Amino acid sequence: MGLDPIRYKPWIGQRTEHAKRFLVITDHVFRHKLRSKWLLGIIVLGSILVWVFPILIFSLSPHDSLTTEMMLETLQNDLLFIFVLIAASLVCADLISEDLRGNSLVLYLYRALRPERYLLGKVLGALLVMSLFTFIPPIALGIAVTATQTGPDYAASAEVIARTVLAAVLTTIFFVPMGMMLSSFTTKRTYAAVGIFMFFFTMTIVAGIFSESDINWQLLGPGNLLNYWYDVIFGETLPKGLSSAGIAIMTFLLLVPPLMVTYWRILSKGVGK
Amino acid sequence: MNDALMTGGQGDVDKGAEGNVTAKDVVMRYGNIMALDHLSMEIPTGIVGLLGPNGAGKSTFIKAVLGLVEPQGGTITVGGLDSRQNVLTIRDKVGYMPEHDCLVEVMTGVELVSYFGMISGMSKNDSIPRSHEVLDFVGIGEERYRPISSYSTGMKQRVKLAQAIVHDPNLLFLDEPTNGMDPLGREEMLDLIERIAAGHKSILVSSHILQDMERVCEHVIIINNGRAVAQGSLKNLLGAQEGRMKLVARGVPEDLAPFVKYLEREQRVISTSEEHGQVTVVLILRGPSGDIFAAAKNAGVQVRSLTADLSTLEEVFIRSV
Repeated sequence: MGLDPIRYKPWIGQRTEHAKRFLVITDHVFRHKLRSKWLLGIIVLGSILVWVFPILIFSLSPHDSLTTEMMLETLQNDLLFIFVLIAASLVCADLISEDLRGNSLVLYLYRALRPERYLLGKVLGALLVMSLFTFIPPIALGIAVTATQTGPDYAASAEVIARTVLAAVLTTIFFVPMGMMLSSFTTKRTYAAVGIFMFFFTMTIVAGIFSESDINWQLLGPGNLLNYWYDVIFGETLPKGLSSAGIAIMTFLLLVPPLMVTYWRILSKGVGK
Repeated sequence: MNDALMTGGQGDVDKGAEGNVTAKDVVMRYGNIMALDHLSMEIPTGIVGLLGPNGAGKSTFIKAVLGLVEPQGGTITVGGLDSRQNVLTIRDKVGYMPEHDCLVEVMTGVELVSYFGMISGMSKNDSIPRSHEVLDFVGIGEERYRPISSYSTGMKQRVKLAQAIVHDPNLLFLDEPTNGMDPLGREEMLDLIERIAAGHKSILVSSHILQDMERVCEHVIIINNGRAVAQGSLKNLLGAQEGRMKLVARGVPEDLAPFVKYLEREQRVISTSEEHGQVTVVLILRGPSGDIFAAAKNAGVQVRSLTADLSTLEEVFIRSV
């Protein structure tokens, strides 16, 4: 190291990419996450256990068309819930906490980047990574089964694929807002990761305990809530006594307030030390 | 907030007329603590030192200019733009080097600088070569390809400076830029600041290291307890008392004594010290200096020097706070 007597050179150019800055953050998150061996390991292992086997089994066994039963059987697999939960914990844990730990949040915000744009970039990055496990594989399953069907009713299969897209979008976004919020509460990514996993796990346990008195308690469990959503999306009837409003409220509570709290945390922490 | 910057397509910011910062009656409280107490100051272009003891309100003032904290009263303008109405426009025009660690340690130096270049609105094609250019400028060589977590404090300070100048702002805020650096590193950092300022940039350097400020600043503002207690050009501050001179005279003690008595009678003597037949008198002239030379001649005393007695910044600082 050491200084060569270099004159400061002004930059002659135009800064024209202000509107795309959140995409820079998204791209950074995506690339950074793809370097994580743990996360890649979980995605690969989960994909093999949750998606590859159904793709092989459904595609190789004789079938007339893609059915909602096939998709529901795969999506409502407990293994999927566990792997999505672990993946969400690993993806979201350091998204905000690392910027808080290193005070780098201030480097974003002093640059005229609105906190919502910063948050949008981070959320999109997380969703992009999550989609590697929760969006692309179910669509691939649908396409593979449709491509190998023996029957002529491709319209029915296409309809199931369309419903699968909806279900996959929901699965992708379901855990991210809460993950972001818990990440914004700490400066340690390990705490955040464990916190995210334990939050959803505890909710599942609590739902299991109280659901014996009333079925609506099941909605506290994120896995149950997702499964009911899959039923709704694929046109199945919900269990008797289950409140549709309860599903909507719980979903709202898991998605919207956490993002608002995260936004507030970014605003309050943006000042740095 | 002016939203124009965030909607895209606004092109580059106006690169002119963004130097001067003016603060008027700025009040900023954190609970019961008064961080800025009706602070008023005028920051001209060039290298300006913002001096003050720890907790004086230096960093708070910079954050208030950047809109990172919102003052409860008063106005701050940057290049004529109100810091509340045009916070995003102002932020887009400035570079900021925070005091504390703020780097993403898993990134390499070049990744970080180009990344924040893009966060400043530069395209990837512009940001990468520019980041190499500024890293060359700050003296980060092949280390730029190593993760920042492996950098020394001095290297981190340089990368912090690099990210602040990557988008070539005309106004730079440097908060304790020499913090934690060894003497050589400090000297190099000050040299960098001077070189940046030579490119017609306005630089506000916040520091409590007075020697550093004396070395690079053209203008100094001293704040204490959230108030500006002294401000002006360094030259004026250091020679603040007009006519303050330092006289060194040599002679035998019998001749020196009446000469000193004459000085005490005819001039305003601040201090006198004598050592090995040489007397040093700090005084404020009340008349032409020729009278002193005439009196010295009559007393048989040899005047070795009569020069303006400039204070050090440390003396000015201590007097002010």
